[in-house]
Amino acid sequence: MFKQIQAFLISLLIATFLLVTQTTATNLFWLQSIGMPVDMGIIVSAMATDLVGMNSKGAFPAAGLIFVGLLIAFITARIIAIWSSIKKPTLYAMAGGAALLAIVALMPLAFYNLDLIAGARTLGGKVYLVLTGVLAGYYFGSHPRKGGSNDTN
Amino acid sequence: MTLINVRITCAALLLCSGFAVSNDDAFEIETLADGLDHPWAVTFISDNEMLVTELSGNLRRVSNGVLNSTPIAGVPEVLFAGQGGLSEVILDPSFADNGLLYLSFSAPAVDQPKLNQLNVIQARLEGNRLVNHKTIFKSDPPRKTAAHYGARLAFLADGTLLITSGDGFNYREQAQALDNHFGKILRLNTDGSIPQDNPFTKTPDALPEIWSYGHRNLQGLVITDDGTVYEHEHGPQGGDELNRVLPGKNYGWPAITYGVDYSGAMISPFTKQPGMEQPLKYWDPSIAPSGMIVYRGDMFPQWQGNLLISALVPGDVRRLEIQDDKSIKEEILFIEFGRIRNIVSAPDGSLILVTDGEDGKLIRVSAKRSVQEGPVSDIAASL
Repeated sequence: MFKQIQAFLISLLIATFLLVTQTTATNLFWLQSIGMPVDMGIIVSAMATDLVGMNSKGAFPAAGLIFVGLLIAFITARIIAIWSSIKKPTLYAMAGGAALLAIVALMPLAFYNLDLIAGARTLGGKVYLVLTGVLAGYYFGSHPRKGGSNDTN
Repeated sequence: MTLINVRITCAALLLCSGFAVSNDDAFEIETLADGLDHPWAVTFISDNEMLVTELSGNLRRVSNGVLNSTPIAGVPEVLFAGQGGLSEVILDPSFADNGLLYLSFSAPAVDQPKLNQLNVIQARLEGNRLVNHKTIFKSDPPRKTAAHYGARLAFLADGTLLITSGDGFNYREQAQALDNHFGKILRLNTDGSIPQDNPFTKTPDALPEIWSYGHRNLQGLVITDDGTVYEHEHGPQGGDELNRVLPGKNYGWPAITYGVDYSGAMISPFTKQPGMEQPLKYWDPSIAPSGMIVYRGDMFPQWQGNLLISALVPGDVRRLEIQDDKSIKEEILFIEFGRIRNIVSAPDGSLILVTDGEDGKLIRVSAKRSVQEGPVSDIAASL
């Protein structure tokens, strides 16, 4: 159980880190494209600022949102795993992807088509964020490999 | 003696701080109309009659303090969603002669009904009906979002029309590009044609109707007697701005900003950049500025020339004194009405506050006869 919680928290960290830094990168790439003086110091400080800001200053904490999404998705995947023969890393990867897809696809429906996560405003950004969920899910499905219920079927 | 000392101290603090909260005992408050569905803009068509837009799509008339139960006919279908709907109404400078007025509203794009556009039309008011509609502006490209339309209108002294067009929320970076209408102030003739002296008429790939750019969601636009143009715009979290607008200038959004995104993310680490204008004032935390007038009335002579800005959060009116392109004093007024969507001055100099929401009200604020000098001055004068 402890290992499962640990794996869940690490998968949450993976998804949160990738989501936040993608938003940071989206903003900085654009600023640089119009000639704003973006240097390494700004990149580092912007990432640090966003990791804190997107988890403490926004209308919703990114990690909290992803926590809820992954929790629901992983519980659902666990139930499906009872009768499914899909390998757990694959199943949880799909669940993680579905969680992030729900976040980036459903949030705009609740806010007049507004993408509140800046990095999710483009199709490419949405795909990237879904892939972060896939990666986080794959990690969770792959850990712990020994002594726990996450062994592959 | 102690009481006098306290009064002197309080008055001195208020006068020195440049930031004061009003004494509402100085005003007479009267509700002119209620039950309005998301009222947005008000304009007086005579001393006793005004038109009120409801975001949901109706144009209403208030005559002698009574809301006409029948909306004005002939208003186009609008997209009432999010922040979209029937927004601004202003009169032609020659309204008394030609009966023309201008409306701004959001509506589905004709060829792409899942997308929508900010529209501006000219129409003639005949009795209780609008006739002779003419579309003079449609924002381009259409957007999928129902937010950040701007949609304020104002006439320059030369008779050309300024239109504020918001950044559409999802399209904020487009505010820095000159090939679209997101995050711009536009200048048109009243027939929809483009004045030849607009700043970007000779700039390759730029839309010639653009007058200024780099804006977010501009919901206040006024022109003073000397021709100075002020606009205010909603920032994200923090970063609401008051700008003095000059043609051809870049006001920076979203390359420079004092606000952060609703997600908590940094939009830009920059607050200044050569070639981008600084606001006269910004608010952090946000006040959600929603409308603005230059006060020119006689009822509050001490406010002549001041900017009065309605604010949605927490809901009040900000009185600003501007001197040498700086805001030298801010006073908070009328904190008791909740979210205030707009403010206008009546012909007699009283103020009309428009409260926000599905049970919106028109509230008239007049000066009490015995206290014409205003709250802060009153305190000082009474010492």
